[in-house]
Amino acid sequence: MPPIDGSDGLKAMIEDLVNKNRVMIFSKSACPYCLKAKDLFKSINVEYHAVELDKLDNGPAIQDTLQAMTGQRTVPNTFINGKHLGGYDSTLKAKENKTLEVMLDGESYDYDLVVIGGGSGGLACAKEAVKHGVKVACLDFVKPSPQGTTWGLGGTCVNVGCIPKKLMHQASILGHSIEDAKSYGWELKDEKVKHNWETMKNAIQDHIGSLNWNYRVELRSKEVTYQNSYGEFIDKHKIKCTNKRGKVQEMTSRYFILAMGGRPRYPDIPGCKEYCITSDDLFSLPYAPGKTLCIGASYVSLECAGFLTSLGFDVTVMVRSILLRGFDQQMAEEIGKYMADHGTKFIRPCVPVKIERLEEGQPGRYRVTGKMQDGTEVVDEYNTIVVAVGRDPCTKGIGLDTVGVDVDPKTGFVLASDGEQTSCPNIYAIGDVLKGRPELTPVAIQAGRLLAKRLFTSATLKCDYVNVPTTVFTPLEYGAIGMPEEVAIDKFGQGDIEVYHSHFLPLEWTLPHREENVCYAKLICVKSLKEKVIGLHVLGPNAGEITQGFTIGIKLGATKADFDNAIGIHPTCAEIFTTMNITKNSGVDISVSGC
Amino acid sequence: MVRQIVVEGFDNCMRTTEENKNSNVYILFSSSKVNGKSWCPDCVVAEPIVEECISKKSDDTVFIFCGVGDREFWKNASNPFRTDSRLKLKSVPTLLKWGKPKRLEENQCADKELVAMLLEED
Repeated sequence: MPPIDGSDGLKAMIEDLVNKNRVMIFSKSACPYCLKAKDLFKSINVEYHAVELDKLDNGPAIQDTLQAMTGQRTVPNTFINGKHLGGYDSTLKAKENKTLEVMLDGESYDYDLVVIGGGSGGLACAKEAVKHGVKVACLDFVKPSPQGTTWGLGGTCVNVGCIPKKLMHQASILGHSIEDAKSYGWELKDEKVKHNWETMKNAIQDHIGSLNWNYRVELRSKEVTYQNSYGEFIDKHKIKCTNKRGKVQEMTSRYFILAMGGRPRYPDIPGCKEYCITSDDLFSLPYAPGKTLCIGASYVSLECAGFLTSLGFDVTVMVRSILLRGFDQQMAEEIGKYMADHGTKFIRPCVPVKIERLEEGQPGRYRVTGKMQDGTEVVDEYNTIVVAVGRDPCTKGIGLDTVGVDVDPKTGFVLASDGEQTSCPNIYAIGDVLKGRPELTPVAIQAGRLLAKRLFTSATLKCDYVNVPTTVFTPLEYGAIGMPEEVAIDKFGQGDIEVYHSHFLPLEWTLPHREENVCYAKLICVKSLKEKVIGLHVLGPNAGEITQGFTIGIKLGATKADFDNAIGIHPTCAEIFTTMNITKNSGVDISVSGC
Repeated sequence: MVRQIVVEGFDNCMRTTEENKNSNVYILFSSSKVNGKSWCPDCVVAEPIVEECISKKSDDTVFIFCGVGDREFWKNASNPFRTDSRLKLKSVPTLLKWGKPKRLEENQCADKELVAMLLEED
């Protein structure tokens, strides 16, 4: 467009106004959209300077110049910190996707969001954020385990957690199914069916490899910058990234999300770090583990002990005190009993004292000395020792103290608000690094997605950490939603709690004559709340599949009457929840036999 | 050094991977040319991009360009490219690293960055 007469002077005048005023609005006094734009800035307490073009003699000429400068002829024509924003619609959109804040801030960063940790939560959050048109980077770096195991993008769940665990659990279930198959008429030529650890391990690792690859392809396709680097805060908007070759790069970002997850904890006893493995190593172990000791009574320990026993290994669990701390203790003890009845040995109450290597090899041979609570020493030899006594958050050595992110001084978990904001306002945290939140993949994913939406859209929905369902994949699976019985009694008082319970026998178990009275279900209800169900617990095959569906009912506040009013699907295990009529208080026998 | 080998059909492809099992083997499965013309437009777009990326590799690498036959043969759901458990191809072009769970399909093969990522060492 050719220069308009005198436009150079007008251009200088406009530039001057734009540079002098944080928010500069070229407006017309009667224009409703101009009023709306002004109201918008008033509503967020931001001062603006407005020039009413209809009140100026050279108004039309200014409008021409603005068009030449910005391509926009209409009013309002808004500039923030020297940058052209646009009309009312652009301003409103910028407010909604939070870019208005960024423009008002006046700072510019390399990224809008840097996510530290490429696990389930971090990836979900990064992928959600890019959907809203912001610039996102994700850092992921796996420090090798003390045994040297390392893995690709995707975090604990995919590489050394849920995924390989469930697949090994499935391998163990198939072993039982082969046994059951004979009762169903399958004639197996080879009476002694053997399991090959390496075949299973390779198939699982191949699957994990394809997931790692797909995550990388996905990040690249969605234009999330992926860095296989270790992040360390320099200040609250700047992070130092070091890759495995030691190359250092700095990145700045408006927001950060801490999603580093956790790693297994080693007890501080001689020989532990040198000779024991953890869940970080087990799923890619290149050789069959042989005679195995699992130290700890966490769900990780019991799950590993469970599938290893079913795969034919001689397995012992060393338990300090209770099983499955934090879970319903009646259910926990039932799990322990079932495992013990199916060949897993338990030493309890006992703590490990020292571990010595007797022989190198794959597997090697180790002597484990333990001390029973009464002081008795127990000594035995094992080929593999799996430590599963808990997990610590990866919050050390990344400069959280530099930027003032408060962590629990004892445990290292990050302290955050119910909106996952830490004590450093532009730094958030999700997943297993958070104090007092369930350490579960789907929780991290949900929190990550919702957080990204809140940061970059006008959304306000926060992650609901209450009534999170979960399942322990021990040989007999345990699914739970809501409160353990002891927690319910503690909160409401014994007198206000009614527990409905029942054993059940899966139809599929009848032909092979599997044991009766091990599968079990209970509903924990509050009498004074019309028997609202506040805890659902089930022990049996496919407990995860059963529990998931009931989650919606519990979240919607279902009462015992609602469960009674639901019609079962026959023949299933889940239908037991529609027909429960025996209360624990009544003391009536709940044993079952047949259909 | 990159060695490029052009093969036609499933059996030739499998023989060539076996002969080169000690090297890094990459395979691009693409439409076979009928009368010098490809029947798969995505393949035509991907081929030069993959070739350009491959030519930059310097280590012991074998690159197999495998024609999967004419359109009719490929569309048959029981052709060995689709059924063999090592391949289980779903589309052409497919670029993969032999023996590894890394593969790119269709227009991903025409994305220079993705192809370079697939060619990176593990």
